[in-house]
Amino acid sequence: MHNRGLAHHVAGAAAGVTAVAATTGLVFALKPVAPVLSLGVLYLLAVVPIAVVWGIPHAFGVSVASMLAFNFFFLPPVHSFALRNSENWVALAVYLVTGVVVAELAARSRRRAAEAELRAQEAAFVADLAARLLESGEVQRELRAIASRLAEVLGASRAWIELDSLRQPEADETVYELTIGNRKVGRLYIDAGARVDPAAAERLAPALASLLAVTSDRERLARRAVEAETLRRSDAVKTAILRAVSHDLRSPLTAIRAAAEGLQSGSFELGPDDQAALLATIGLETGRLDRLVSNLLDLSLLESGTATPRPEVWTLDGLVGRALDALGADAARVHVALPPEPAAVRVDGAQIERVLVNLLENALRIGESVEIGGGEAGDEALLRVLDDGPGLDERDLERIFDPFERGRAPSGRGSGLGLAIARGFAQANGCRLWAESPPGAGAVFVLALPRVEVPAAVTA
Amino acid sequence: MTRTRILVVDDEPQILRALETNLRGAGYEVDTAATAEEARTAAALGKPDAVILDLVLPDGSGTAVCRELRRWSTAPVIVLSVVGDQQEKVAALDAGADDYVTKPFGMDELLARLRAALRRAAPSGEPLVRVGELEVDLEKRSVSLAGRAVALTPNEFRLLSLLAQNEGKLMTHQTILREVWGPAYGDESHYLHVYVSQLRRKIEPDPTRPRYLLTEPGAGYRLVAPS
Repeated sequence: MHNRGLAHHVAGAAAGVTAVAATTGLVFALKPVAPVLSLGVLYLLAVVPIAVVWGIPHAFGVSVASMLAFNFFFLPPVHSFALRNSENWVALAVYLVTGVVVAELAARSRRRAAEAELRAQEAAFVADLAARLLESGEVQRELRAIASRLAEVLGASRAWIELDSLRQPEADETVYELTIGNRKVGRLYIDAGARVDPAAAERLAPALASLLAVTSDRERLARRAVEAETLRRSDAVKTAILRAVSHDLRSPLTAIRAAAEGLQSGSFELGPDDQAALLATIGLETGRLDRLVSNLLDLSLLESGTATPRPEVWTLDGLVGRALDALGADAARVHVALPPEPAAVRVDGAQIERVLVNLLENALRIGESVEIGGGEAGDEALLRVLDDGPGLDERDLERIFDPFERGRAPSGRGSGLGLAIARGFAQANGCRLWAESPPGAGAVFVLALPRVEVPAAVTA
Repeated sequence: MTRTRILVVDDEPQILRALETNLRGAGYEVDTAATAEEARTAAALGKPDAVILDLVLPDGSGTAVCRELRRWSTAPVIVLSVVGDQQEKVAALDAGADDYVTKPFGMDELLARLRAALRRAAPSGEPLVRVGELEVDLEKRSVSLAGRAVALTPNEFRLLSLLAQNEGKLMTHQTILREVWGPAYGDESHYLHVYVSQLRRKIEPDPTRPRYLLTEPGAGYRLVAPS
């Protein structure tokens, strides 16, 4: 900074000398055509530009130098600083005073212009800041851009804005508190090397502080509103789940209780057939309860995001085998049509088993016979579950994956959770699951799984 | 002849009562315990022939009980697990448990597992192992199904012979990997399920409805004679 100032002064002095010399040359050139005393006014041409560019002290120097040069070169006796006529003293004094006054006026108007430009820049900055913050609404994300604009306006090389900042400024930083009344909004750190007008920083700080405060307040309120809305919605979902589930839990419980009490009661006679039927009811309904509870467990794992898959390499026939095994007696109604060398995929075996079991159970509820087929498409392996039911409406193809959407199932069968869970697990495993309904056929559920290449060493 | 003695450990009185009643009905002598501490005492005093062990006990885990039991007893241990504690189940199997059933289980299933565990003897040392119509010749390293030779790769053969020598016993993934590929099993082991699928395509009439080589979800595999 010191060096820069020195260079500035040296340049000013050099310019002053040059200007005086040039003007002296001009007066020499014009001397034959005009009275020499009237040409003294030309020295203002040297004083005014110096005053505008280098300021009053330089202009004063140029004024004095001009006066001396005029006296030395043009006023008799020439080539001496002495003066013959007393009126020449008056002329010189007039030149000096005029020079200084004009210089001061010029410098002042220049300062005004510079200041006006600065204010205009500051005003533009504040307007830009307001627009930026109000539009985006995310203060943190805009801070860096705002700071770099601010650095530009203040003439600093770098600036940082930190909200709720407590850190001590580094050695090369100047810090400005951003406050509104007693509230501390944040801090503005400016690169200490910069020649920043403290008045400008002081002027901008309050505007910056209040805009930042308003925006971060607004942001906080918006966040709170979103949280409240999320909470309200998840409460609504929970209520819906509880309502649906308590119905689904009660019906098998009622059946079990009725059957057990029927078997216990001595008041009426039960034939062996009746007893067998009641026992079969108990067995069937406990199975239903068991499935419902594991579906709910699956759903809660998926909803809470804790169903982290443990991917391993499986083959399509291995996965289908697991699903058929888990399906139990109903598996007899499933026709399997896989290629002779089924593809290998990388998925969590237990979770894809749930997907397939739910798809097959769903298909078995709708159709008489169900087929599961396989194939490949690009880097995906495909499993298709086809039923021979009435198919799906175009508008149901997506909707049936919503929880508690019972779709085509006859009332009282199925909890409406199976397909939602299937899709949840499929997505958690990087698979895609969708429904198709080709004309004149039943519904087709397609599961696309990420295929992997098996090294030759494994197959040989 | 003394009757077979079973120790049942579960902290749920209703389950304990139901198991006790059913096991007595099936002709077993039954001791019961509701805590890990009671289980240790009952096992030491009663010298049970088999133990049915709940994995979650009020004063400790069934896995720990199983590990201690293994130090001095070879009695088969069947653990009772619930859906969702897969890791605990595998830990118990690796700690020496022989088998597991998942709550809620059917009594028939538990009794079948119990009978199989009691019947299972140590590997006979015979070079020819027969499982149903499957014959595994450990010396000639050949396999036949219903009299017809089956061509297996070396890894498939090692996998099948391990399972055949432990017929009926649940072999955990870890055990299989260690036994087939050695303690420092490497990359090929990522393909255990692929090896099993390939083996099934060679020995099962319908590989998606296996009758010999059964999957125990999340735990391992077992080879059984088709019923």
